[in-house]
Amino acid sequence: MTKELEKKFASELEQNQSIIHKVCRSYTNNSDAHKDLFQEITIQLWKAYPKFRGESKFSTWMYRVAFNTAISLYRKSKRNVETTQIYDNLKELEFQDYDDSKDKQLNLLYQAIYSLNDIEKALALLYLEDKSYKEISKTLGISEVNARVKMNRTKTKLKNILNP
Amino acid sequence: MEHLEKLKDIWKNQGDSIIRFSEDDIYKMVHKRSSSVVKWILIISILEFVLPNIFFLFSDFKSTKEVYESYGLNNIMLFYSIVHVVIILGFIYVFYKNYRNISADSSVKNLLHDILKTRSTVKYYIYYNLSIAAVIGLHVFYIVFNSDEFINKLPENTSMIGIWVIAILLFGIALLMFWVFYRVIYGFLLKKLKNNYKELMYKD
Repeated sequence: MTKELEKKFASELEQNQSIIHKVCRSYTNNSDAHKDLFQEITIQLWKAYPKFRGESKFSTWMYRVAFNTAISLYRKSKRNVETTQIYDNLKELEFQDYDDSKDKQLNLLYQAIYSLNDIEKALALLYLEDKSYKEISKTLGISEVNARVKMNRTKTKLKNILNP
Repeated sequence: MEHLEKLKDIWKNQGDSIIRFSEDDIYKMVHKRSSSVVKWILIISILEFVLPNIFFLFSDFKSTKEVYESYGLNNIMLFYSIVHVVIILGFIYVFYKNYRNISADSSVKNLLHDILKTRSTVKYYIYYNLSIAAVIGLHVFYIVFNSDEFINKLPENTSMIGIWVIAILLFGIALLMFWVFYRVIYGFLLKKLKNNYKELMYKD
């Protein structure tokens, strides 16, 4: 692996890092864990980088590696979600007007995603990103039909969390 | 599902993450796995220190003290305990410092230096633990084997040389097991550090 490749990788990742941050924020609940996950995803992306041949979009590839890393770490640690606290906060979401503090709403949305299970987190994120089922199936390595079924369940679950 | 559609707007309008990394950060990140390894070295060394002491707290102080007294080991064991605790706490402090140094943003050159330092600290730590075990063991054997309490219990015509040989043999096996234990736990972590070191060297 040459120095140029490392530089190219670092530069591409720097430009597209918002994707990883979204994944990290969905799978972790504090900034330390967020940074750790970011680093782990970066390492996994770097390992996989020489094999990336541009057959899929760079963002699709990043999502795939990021989700794989986040899901496998999530399964390893099985950190419990502090559900009570999250649900308490979530109740505020429905009473808020959408023009109110966007940051707060976004924060609550992330908390709702965090309370989903590992696969649902990925689906919710891809849904919010407006990805096609074709892209979702590619990213998560499942069939399009399966993606549709799972997506409907995830959407219902997310809706129930946000409007208990 | 209209509610969810509205959430897409919030999602799309989110600005940059509060946490952002520069190209240089990412570059370093690829090579900066050492901090997690060093963190484990710190955790294991603390556990190794704390667990036996917790066990000791629940042990029968009185009977241990009686045994020590009967062989005249009280003072010597107290001396070794104090020395050992001070030295181990010193090691834990150094491990902690290594961990802090490696975790903090440092240049690749500093990182290389820190990794080497951590590797040598771990090696000294292992050597120290094995040496102190050997010194205390032999010293205790010497005192016990020369005590009246012990000699009076021996059957007549028992060869002291035989007892020494068996004691040293068994003790040697125990130390060997200790060494294997260290090799397995710390050896694994040291290897990871070494690999990272090599990668960093290659980068420079």
